[in-house]
Amino acid sequence: MTTVTRPTRFDLLTLWDRLKSNYLLQKIAQAIFVVWFVTSVTFFVVRAMPGNAVDILIQDLTLAGVSPEDARNQASLLIGLDVDKPLPEQYGTYLLNTLRGDLGQSYKSSGLKVSELIVQVLPWTLFSVGLSLMITFTLGIALGAIMAYNRDTWIDHLLSNLAATLDAVSPILIGLLAILLIGVTWKMIPISDMRGAMSPGMKPEFSWDFIADIFMHVRVLLLVYVLSTIGSWMLQMKSSTIATLGEDYVTVARARGLTDARILTAYVGRNATLPLFTRLAISIGFAVGGSVLLETLFTYRGVGFLLAKAILERDYPVMQGVFLITTTAVVFANLLVDFVYGWLDPRIRIAGGEQ
Amino acid sequence: MQPTLTVRNLTIEYATRRGKVQAIRNVSFDVKRGEALALIGESGSGKTTLGLGIVQLLPVMARITSGDILYRRQDKTGAPPLEIAALTLKGNSLRQFRWRECAMVFQGALNAFNPVLKIADHFRDTAKAHGALNGKSLEERGKHLLNLVRLDAERVWKSYPHELSGGMRQRVLIALALLLDPQLIILDEPTTALDILTQRNIMDVLQELRSKLDFSLIFISHDLSLAAELADRVATVYAGKIVELSDVQTIFKAPTHPYTIGLINAVPTLSGHKDDLTSIPGSPPDLVEMPSGCKFHPRCPLADEQCKTREPESEFAAADHQVTCWQWQKARGVLKSYA
Ligand SMILES: Nc1ncnc2c1ncn2[C@@H]1O[C@H](COP(=O)(O)OP(=O)(O)OP(=O)(O)O)[C@@H](O)[C@H]1O
Ligand code: SF4
Ligand SMILES: [Mg+2]
Repeated sequence: MTTVTRPTRFDLLTLWDRLKSNYLLQKIAQAIFVVWFVTSVTFFVVRAMPGNAVDILIQDLTLAGVSPEDARNQASLLIGLDVDKPLPEQYGTYLLNTLRGDLGQSYKSSGLKVSELIVQVLPWTLFSVGLSLMITFTLGIALGAIMAYNRDTWIDHLLSNLAATLDAVSPILIGLLAILLIGVTWKMIPISDMRGAMSPGMKPEFSWDFIADIFMHVRVLLLVYVLSTIGSWMLQMKSSTIATLGEDYVTVARARGLTDARILTAYVGRNATLPLFTRLAISIGFAVGGSVLLETLFTYRGVGFLLAKAILERDYPVMQGVFLITTTAVVFANLLVDFVYGWLDPRIRIAGGEQ
Repeated sequence: MQPTLTVRNLTIEYATRRGKVQAIRNVSFDVKRGEALALIGESGSGKTTLGLGIVQLLPVMARITSGDILYRRQDKTGAPPLEIAALTLKGNSLRQFRWRECAMVFQGALNAFNPVLKIADHFRDTAKAHGALNGKSLEERGKHLLNLVRLDAERVWKSYPHELSGGMRQRVLIALALLLDPQLIILDEPTTALDILTQRNIMDVLQELRSKLDFSLIFISHDLSLAAELADRVATVYAGKIVELSDVQTIFKAPTHPYTIGLINAVPTLSGHKDDLTSIPGSPPDLVEMPSGCKFHPRCPLADEQCKTREPESEFAAADHQVTCWQWQKARGVLKSYA
């Protein structure tokens, strides 16, 4: 027996071809590219632009009486990069550090690593933003579908007006109203109870007490998140459902004698929610952005709160780290949504992108 | 044998912004057991409305104001048929009536399939809704039907709708219509929006199905030549009324209604010269402001005073030949010389 061995050609070009034909790989590559791009832009803005944050830091230190030499050394220590090295080398070290999860140290809370600061607050933002998105998405879909199915009845009018109003009012206003009404006027919940992500002395563990406590702290924030975003979900689901109800395949499904329940779920519901998944990706970014305002308002110690504080104190390493982490989170959340979407819509699944 | 479908005095109204319109006006006809009845008429004459009325899938602004529809399921043994008064059905029994007794394949049904479900799922859903076949026997029957409509059953069964061409989808829908063995199938312009070869292919499939299986057919079209090919009887519809109804030979060889004569003259023949092609002048009436008397009179070369003031009733020109025209007896002689 002779075995014929063929030379396997696996150069960059064939790799590229494979990448292009694989939806999954393509999306992952895209996500990685975005994260790299944002990381680099942050670096050059903070480090390389004239009047950049590091130069200002050195200046500040010198003004405070530190010798220029020492100032440069201190700055290097703080940001974890040698400021006297040429820029490309600094950039290289920066990328390596970032990959290792080393995001430098906070200017203000001296000695504290940025990564540690973020790890402390990130779970709370993921928890509150994630939970509120889940609630708004499901509730918005359900209410939107109810509106569409009861089109032009009093239920529809009531819900539509409510949704349009909520959609028009800004989240911060809803937040202020919530504090005023719930905390001050009706005194339903003491304002101090709303502070922080959990009560002082509470230990993060898997117990009813702990879960009850974090929900007690997040409830008003959650309510504000939900109220400020649910309006547009309801309206969009309504119009999407109405459009789907007019599709031929729904009429044909009726002609085929399918049960109403089957038509509602597999024919109307599934198709009407498809466009909303695309929006889910966008709104993840918005929710994270909104958390800066709302977490500050409710002194909820999440990423948004940390960022607001860092901006106030001009704590650049922290800002940089938060940007990086939130971008990464949003990009990968988008990736997840993309996959769910591709899995839900066979037309995307196969073609990879377009129909 | 009794007719599979008996429609009597059916009137269907739409509530539009400009007022009420009667899209179907006092229509009566039978579909005999196993026959194919073609409904022919211009756009807007009410053909689709009639089909939707039978399966009660009219849009919300439509209302059936009068009439009876009787459907009869009967086997060849001559046992008394199962009679269903379609218009009295509600809820679950209406749902069961649809597709199991009477399947309607819609006009332009290229979007008839749920884009997120496979063809197999569409068969499964349909069977399940009627408590019919499942599992292996469903798959066998489904694939058998797909073969009957000349599709590669193995491949199509596992496909998503968007992976099939328009002509293939149309054939899948016809196969799906046969799944529960209905005795009546309504095909609303099954070949419009398809190219001429695909159209040919579907007509062949339909003819083959008619010879192999046992069902009655209402074939809706505005194309007379397709009707001639497939139908046993032809009804011409004008402004919501059946103006002439007879067997296919009579309609083509000896039409008596001026509208039918006009339609037949308007069909271009391969041998005919261009000068012979006479189309009907004018356009179908506005249903909101319907003309007085015979609704065809503004376009009819024979219209006289009586036609303008009084609407004719349906009469029998022969045993199985209905016509609705004051002057049917002379129409043919006069109009022949026109051409
Ligand atoms: N949803 C509707 N609302 C109001 N009027 C309607 C509606 N659908 C149909 N009509 C009216 O009913 C009449 C008959 O329409 P229908 O669709 O039954 O005609 P058709 O013979 O099937 O025409 P086509 O050959 O174009 O399919 C039309 O003149 C139209 O004005
Ligand atoms: S009734 Fe008069 S107008 Fe109407 S079709 Fe007959 S001849 Fe023409
Ligand atoms: Mg039609």
